[in-house]
Amino acid sequence: MKDEAKTRGRRRSLGFLARFLALLVVFYFLVAWGPVNDAVIVPFTGAIARVSSLVLSVLGEGTHVEGTEIRSDRFAVNIENGCNGVETALLFGSAVLAFPAPWKRRLAGLALGLVAIQIINLVRVVSLFWIGVHKPSLFSSSHTVLWQSVVVLCGVLLFLLWATWGTGKRVAAVERHGAGKGR
Amino acid sequence: MARAKGADAAGRISIPIDRRALGRLVLGFLGGLVLWLVFSAPYERVIAAAAEAALRTFESPAVTSLKASGGEILVDRADFPPSSPRPGLPAADLHFNFVLLCALFAMTPRPFSPGNFGRFWAAAALLAVVHVAALILQVESVYATQLGPWSQAHYGPVARNLWAGAFHFYLIAGRFAAPFVLWWGLGRIADSRR
Repeated sequence: MKDEAKTRGRRRSLGFLARFLALLVVFYFLVAWGPVNDAVIVPFTGAIARVSSLVLSVLGEGTHVEGTEIRSDRFAVNIENGCNGVETALLFGSAVLAFPAPWKRRLAGLALGLVAIQIINLVRVVSLFWIGVHKPSLFSSSHTVLWQSVVVLCGVLLFLLWATWGTGKRVAAVERHGAGKGR
Repeated sequence: MARAKGADAAGRISIPIDRRALGRLVLGFLGGLVLWLVFSAPYERVIAAAAEAALRTFESPAVTSLKASGGEILVDRADFPPSSPRPGLPAADLHFNFVLLCALFAMTPRPFSPGNFGRFWAAAALLAVVHVAALILQVESVYATQLGPWSQAHYGPVARNLWAGAFHFYLIAGRFAAPFVLWWGLGRIADSRR
């Protein structure tokens, strides 16, 4: 019985991986497609630049925005694909949609997760700009390694938290039900 | 949180994640970062040599040479004019995802158990293969799109789109997905067999 459950779990895990990879490729083609990039991704990245500039101005950095570029007298940064949180959103969205769960739960997870990823990404953009102004020697490593890894790990963690959400109660209920039957 | 790893009693996918797992994830991330910082330079030499060997196998004549230096992979061809600049490709973008792999494998309740350790190194070896493949894609993408008239003469429109698109996929999605897929495939599914 236990072996059967394990086999089923393994099959579900492999199915999840196959669906995840297929969705990732589909979503990649969607966001990389010229018209979608121009009509959705670039304006979205511009909005990220404006919100980040607003936060930086509140922090006293005196920034302004030109397209997807945040500028001040001392530093400028251009937000490109890979820095707009879209890559983490692709991973998270593919994982949530590939995971076996009711649609209502998937949609709730997508909405909350994508907002959370953008909040984390906002912290990344603001802190990278701040590092660029005050600790420029650390900018490259912070940008390439530290923050990219942190944002992606946050995306994976959000997915795992979403996937686990409610599972404990469900397993406890299954165990209680099983124990009741055994009596 | 006590439940079978990989599948719960009803055969559903379950993932043990709690405060301790988060702590191990952070420690794994930091440990991976240290390893990555210490071994980046020799590792880049290894993947450059492996990608060069693979590229030369399919070239006629075999002219590509790749050298890792100062965080870049320098691309050279024996048929380039001696005075032309040699493209330098940023190497960290290719392989920093090793840090993600370390963090994910560290989340396991007993990260240093022989089983988990073995699976981690198997995943790291597969990730190295991914890095070599990504470097080949990057070099071909440079050849196909960034060398002006030379690119136009040697690569057709389909080949240009194919190489550039494949490397762009790696940059946007593949490099982040690879550690997750390897962890899920080797770490979690293999774990559920025990």
